Amino acid sequence: MSSKPDFDPKTLRRHVLHMAHSGNSVHIGCAFSLIEIVSVLYGSVMRYDITGPEMPDRDYLILSKGHGVMAVYAAYRELGWLEQEDLDRYFSDGSKLHGLCEASVPGLEICSGTLGHGLPIAVGIAYGLKRQGSDRVVYCIVGDGEMNEGPMWEAMLFASHHQLDNLVVIVDANGLQAMGTTGEIINLEPFAQKFESFGFSAIDCSGHDMELLQTALRPTPGKPHAVIARTVKGYGVSFMENKIEWHYLRLNPQLMESAMAELETPESRS
Amino acid sequence: MRGMLSELIAGNAERDPKFLALSGDHGYALFDAIRQRRPGQFVNVGIMEQALVGIAAGLAKTGHRPLVYGLAAFVPLRVLEQIKMDVCFTKLPVIFVGDGAGLVYSTLGSSHQCGEDVAALRPLPYIRIYAPCDDYELQASFEEAMAYAGPAYIRVGKSDRPVVNQRPLPDTLAHFTHQPESVADTCLVSMGSMTAVGHAAGVEHGLPHLSVFRLKPFAENAIGLLSSFQRIIVLEEHSRYGGLASSLTDAFIDAGVAVPRVQVLSLQDHFAEHCGSYQYALSEHQLSDADVQQRLRGLMNLS
Repeated sequence: MSSKPDFDPKTLRRHVLHMAHSGNSVHIGCAFSLIEIVSVLYGSVMRYDITGPEMPDRDYLILSKGHGVMAVYAAYRELGWLEQEDLDRYFSDGSKLHGLCEASVPGLEICSGTLGHGLPIAVGIAYGLKRQGSDRVVYCIVGDGEMNEGPMWEAMLFASHHQLDNLVVIVDANGLQAMGTTGEIINLEPFAQKFESFGFSAIDCSGHDMELLQTALRPTPGKPHAVIARTVKGYGVSFMENKIEWHYLRLNPQLMESAMAELETPESRS
Repeated sequence: MRGMLSELIAGNAERDPKFLALSGDHGYALFDAIRQRRPGQFVNVGIMEQALVGIAAGLAKTGHRPLVYGLAAFVPLRVLEQIKMDVCFTKLPVIFVGDGAGLVYSTLGSSHQCGEDVAALRPLPYIRIYAPCDDYELQASFEEAMAYAGPAYIRVGKSDRPVVNQRPLPDTLAHFTHQPESVADTCLVSMGSMTAVGHAAGVEHGLPHLSVFRLKPFAENAIGLLSSFQRIIVLEEHSRYGGLASSLTDAFIDAGVAVPRVQVLSLQDHFAEHCGSYQYALSEHQLSDADVQQRLRGLMNLS
């Protein structure tokens, strides 16, 4: 691993594929939809100290959508916060990393995967930081399907009432939840207006356009901020894109080879 | 006990600026003292118990010392998963107070009654569980919970039962509230709201009475104090499943000590059937003061 982290989405996706293939894991599509978001957060938005994941003045990243945790593991590998062996040994007996977000991994902060937990905790952290007069920011990635959960809306009420302008909620809006589209199961539209009506500022934008995301992720003075990041589940590998089955499917050697071929870069080829 | 609880909350707020009392819009007069003396350290989060626990976890992560107050029917029952994953997993120092435990809200019905809280929490790693009976047991529980670098639950049941303890307690171990000089083969054991009843029965029948108010980790001296008795009669305003009687027999098993004969006077396996006073509600479980007296007399005659 080079000393400088490489947050190129293709690099991060290759880490995810490698882990998923090593561990015969599901949830590849869930991780792929938020790769650009994670890339921008660690690449240019969040303040942190690369020497360790839990340094005192860091901004917080709370992954409420625990099913996308492989995207964060990929970034941690680039940051040097995970070893290559941790990725190689994914899901092997006695290994470090679970298939959902667990606070036992330094940096992950919380447990999620049981949905509807991360945002309330993120709001508590943001409120705690406010009380301390800190200027640290809390970024919280939530799933659009996860927004079916009641505590998410409870937490939004609290965040708005207490004007937590150090909170940025990023909705990974890939439009797919476990058994169908969000539109057919529980319609969440108009999504941005829902956040606005709860007292947030809200931006609706592509979740794969990294230039747009850099601007969209900035906190708004005076109120909590939400980014409805329109994403594609499985983004980056053509045969996974927008396919609900890539919530569940695993990689066989042929699929692994085809997927990796789509994620090659001149550097990765060499 | 509510006066003591109010004072403990306000006093800890004064001593520690990081101490925060959080409520889900419950506990009206209970928070008068802290609101008067440290208004900035009381937060009425709103009627949202699930988010309340997550917010408390977030506050604990930023170095605050949150106390989460609710009715036991909601905290911990409604938010069991939040307590498990948001607080216990990360061993965050959050104190939960479940008020009105047992059948206190007799006239409101089963939605506000709670005979399952201890059973629900006992399997969660790291959490400490207390069920004090009066001011002094509450004080000892609260102080120990504050000193513990992890989660704790304090069960507050019927709070105007007669006082049992006459002076502050040095610790949260099991202790005899009544110990006759004559040798007895039976010992009464109770927790929380039934301690005053058990104590009075012990005095009346000349039986020793042991108060156990730290349920987890189970008061480590209890088995030693009880192992010489041939029979133990447990009184608890909690379900038969997972409360004091279960904790006690588990402790015997874990200690590798033969379990004596145990008879249990507890809540029975049904919800409230009719509306009525607290004593009436208890009577639906044969646990009113009169029922307990009568059943104990029956049990004693059988022995």
